[in-house]
Amino acid sequence: MTLIREDGAVEDRFTRADTIDAALAVDGPVLIPLAIADEFAKARPGAEFGVSLPGSTPIEDVKPQLGKIALVAIEFPAFADGRGFSLAKKIAREGFSGTLRASGPLIADEFADALACGFTEVELPETMANRQPVQQWLAAKDTMTEHYQSGYGRGPSILQKRLAARKGA
Amino acid sequence: MAKDHRAGSKVRGEKLPAILMASHLLEGDTVFKTDAGWTRDPSAAKIAHDAETAAAMEAEGKAAAAANLVIDPYLVPVDLTDGGLPVAKHFRDVMRQKGPSIHPDMGKQAEFPPLR
Amino acid sequence: MYRYDEFDERFVRERVAQFRGQVERRLDGSLSEDEFKPLRLKNGLYLQLHAYMLRIAVPYGTLNSAQLRMLAHIAETYDKGYGHFTTRQNLQFNWPKLKDVPTILELLADVEMHCIQTSGNCIRNVTSDQFAGVARDEVEDPRPTAELIRQWSSLHPEFVWLPRKFKIAVTGAEHDRAAIMVHDIGLKLKRNDQGAVGYEVIVGGGLGRTPMIGKVVREFLPKDELLAYLEAVMRVYNSEGRRDNKFKARVKILVHETGEEEFRARVEEEYAKLDGPTINAPEEEVERIAAYFAAPTYEALPDVSQVLDQARAIDPELDRFVEQNSFEHKQPGYIALTIALKEIGAVPGDMSADQMRAFADIAEKYSFDEFRVTHSQNLVLPHVKKDDLPAVHAALKAAGLASANAGLITDIIACPGLDYCALATAKSIPIAQAIAKTFADQERQKAIGELPIKISGCINACGHHHVGAIGILGLEKGGRENYQITVGGDATEHAALGERLGPGIDAEDVPAAIEAIVETYLAEKQGSESFIETVRRTGPEPFKTGFTAFIESRAVESEAAE
Ligand code: HEM
Ligand code: SF4
Repeated sequence: MTLIREDGAVEDRFTRADTIDAALAVDGPVLIPLAIADEFAKARPGAEFGVSLPGSTPIEDVKPQLGKIALVAIEFPAFADGRGFSLAKKIAREGFSGTLRASGPLIADEFADALACGFTEVELPETMANRQPVQQWLAAKDTMTEHYQSGYGRGPSILQKRLAARKGA
Repeated sequence: MAKDHRAGSKVRGEKLPAILMASHLLEGDTVFKTDAGWTRDPSAAKIAHDAETAAAMEAEGKAAAAANLVIDPYLVPVDLTDGGLPVAKHFRDVMRQKGPSIHPDMGKQAEFPPLR
Repeated sequence: MYRYDEFDERFVRERVAQFRGQVERRLDGSLSEDEFKPLRLKNGLYLQLHAYMLRIAVPYGTLNSAQLRMLAHIAETYDKGYGHFTTRQNLQFNWPKLKDVPTILELLADVEMHCIQTSGNCIRNVTSDQFAGVARDEVEDPRPTAELIRQWSSLHPEFVWLPRKFKIAVTGAEHDRAAIMVHDIGLKLKRNDQGAVGYEVIVGGGLGRTPMIGKVVREFLPKDELLAYLEAVMRVYNSEGRRDNKFKARVKILVHETGEEEFRARVEEEYAKLDGPTINAPEEEVERIAAYFAAPTYEALPDVSQVLDQARAIDPELDRFVEQNSFEHKQPGYIALTIALKEIGAVPGDMSADQMRAFADIAEKYSFDEFRVTHSQNLVLPHVKKDDLPAVHAALKAAGLASANAGLITDIIACPGLDYCALATAKSIPIAQAIAKTFADQERQKAIGELPIKISGCINACGHHHVGAIGILGLEKGGRENYQITVGGDATEHAALGERLGPGIDAEDVPAAIEAIVETYLAEKQGSESFIETVRRTGPEPFKTGFTAFIESRAVESEAAE
């Protein structure tokens, strides 16, 4: 697995565990399926953990966990499945301040969109990272410098910039 | 995901003899497998008369797709003309061997002699 | 018309560079074909039977002469000397090479054009009324709305990987010429009881293999809330639209399966969570865009033109052309003129590079440098002085563009079909050509009157056959091309889907079958009823009877021949 952030590849602090037993056996931050989040939190109060869930998950199912977890990993079954983008947006809207991870066979061309929808990082299977190394991701991210949509990405949208320019003039 | 291109046509009955057709990645036009590589000339296509040859050609087609040379290679069942040239059994593949019916001045029919 | 500012310019240029990079990464293997395909589609590039096909956006169908001259240049330099106007008001080139596409995009950007989102599972180019800003029955010009949506939907970070394509149409008029009932979202500008302007929002219409008429999800949406509301609809669709079966992935299926009430509730629930002011376009921005669509500086003229009347009296051809192809303009002394790309025997919607140049000159000289593309694969000169009509007609005639058949039985919509399209199950264009030849006689066409025929070469319905007064669908049956015929389809505010008349028939039989249907109409017609009005009154039954009789007579003939 390769983990890519806006400024390059980073180490993954989280260890994935699919069952509660496996999760409890891990030292340090663990990444577990949403279904066992309650159980884990009860067994390890205060422990740092994240949950993984598919892009099709309703926001109501995630919401109760958001205050307790450090990471949400949204699983993308395929790069062309855009549900994860909308789920990220909904999670960010709930005020979640932890790490939002897009996990799956995404392509570099989606990096900017993922960041604009609120993702912090992308976790790639190794086969993908071999074909599209980190440099491609960083380059792809910067190909478009402007966006029209207000409420996405960091800087102001084109519409907002026009307004500001007119007010300034 | 949108599937904008259907590789292969529905042909009932005999699958042999056959030729191997694909689209050229960089140019987009139709190409046919030969012994040496690929040709744009429908009359120069290599004809598989037996299943082994057909399978070998199909494998070479897949390899060429993997090497980013062609797209959507597929075997096309053909009938042979009196002159021994391959004419596709399905009207859709015939269209690819010739070019648009509404523009006789465009496509293969404009560049190569007819399959007779 | 709209002009790019520095932001739009940079955006389109960067998009060209981005696509160039994507092509390079495809060639070096960084992108597989499965990954590259949706990326090229999002930039309008298809792979067809004989070559790639590039679909160029003509936002809401408006173009100027410099743009058309550039299209002529591209057609000659990188294609085979012609282009094809489509039912989605776009232009397609049928022969570009992948290696040339980045350069073509560069040239398009020089004249403020692009191919962004003309295909793929994203929000497609927005379509509108070809008589926008001209029609008398207009509440407000729909083009500023369409332009705002064009900008907002361009590379929208959240909505580029939708379950399926998504098409939005806007109209500002009472009479719907934008087919808003059969789009994923249809917007109709209207006034509420207080006189405020807003939109009626229709969701879930569409054609394709499961044709459906859209449902009204909002009776009245205040104008300044548009983008936030669209975001809510799109988010519900992106989250919940089906991804297990691409034939069930359009929003029409989601609306159908969740139910109209429930769908509306989900949209409203999402909408309530949004912070509108942070999403919607600032009022100043809406005004800035609208200013580009201000009416041109018309001359004050009497509504009746002596020059034109005298010319018509002595030139029957001109007279016929004006009678058939003109559309009433809200400005006295002016007219909007339809240019039917439907010469008898021609390919519907095709235009040669020479014709493009000639037409660019005409639009520049006689129509404030502006023209429109219609969803019937025709063009419109929106603002022609009546006094100029004789000169315009002569110039059009010289370019082979003076076909006086707008709206008639020979003004046929046809998708590319098997002559180009990789998905086709049957030919489409040759059927249109054969029907047009059968009905070539001017007097006969006039006697039959308005009769939109629409032809698709497969179930995907790009030729809108479901909403043709006569619809023709080409399929493959038993290794042969086979055509199903429907009547009663309508894409206007009376939206209706056509009904099948009987079993499919062979290509050779289609023109005679159409003649049989026309005979039924002429026999059933009351007063000055048009074809569709007759079908609406009688229902399809008499047409089925006539069609069945036709099929039987054919069977007898072919037996006799054996
Ligand atoms: C030539 C290559 C083309 C291909 C491969 C193609 C592909 C498709 C496909 C797959 C659909 C069905 C989508 C669905 O229902 O989900 C479709 C629908 C459609 N296409 Fe095309 N198309 C082509 C050309 C055209 C042209 C030339 C036009 C305009 C004349 C056009 C206009 C439309 C329209 C209006 C629809 C129906 C939209 C709806 O279902 O609401 N297409 N096309
Ligand atoms: S209707 Fe079918 S044949 Fe015609 S253009 Fe669309 S996909 Fe191709």
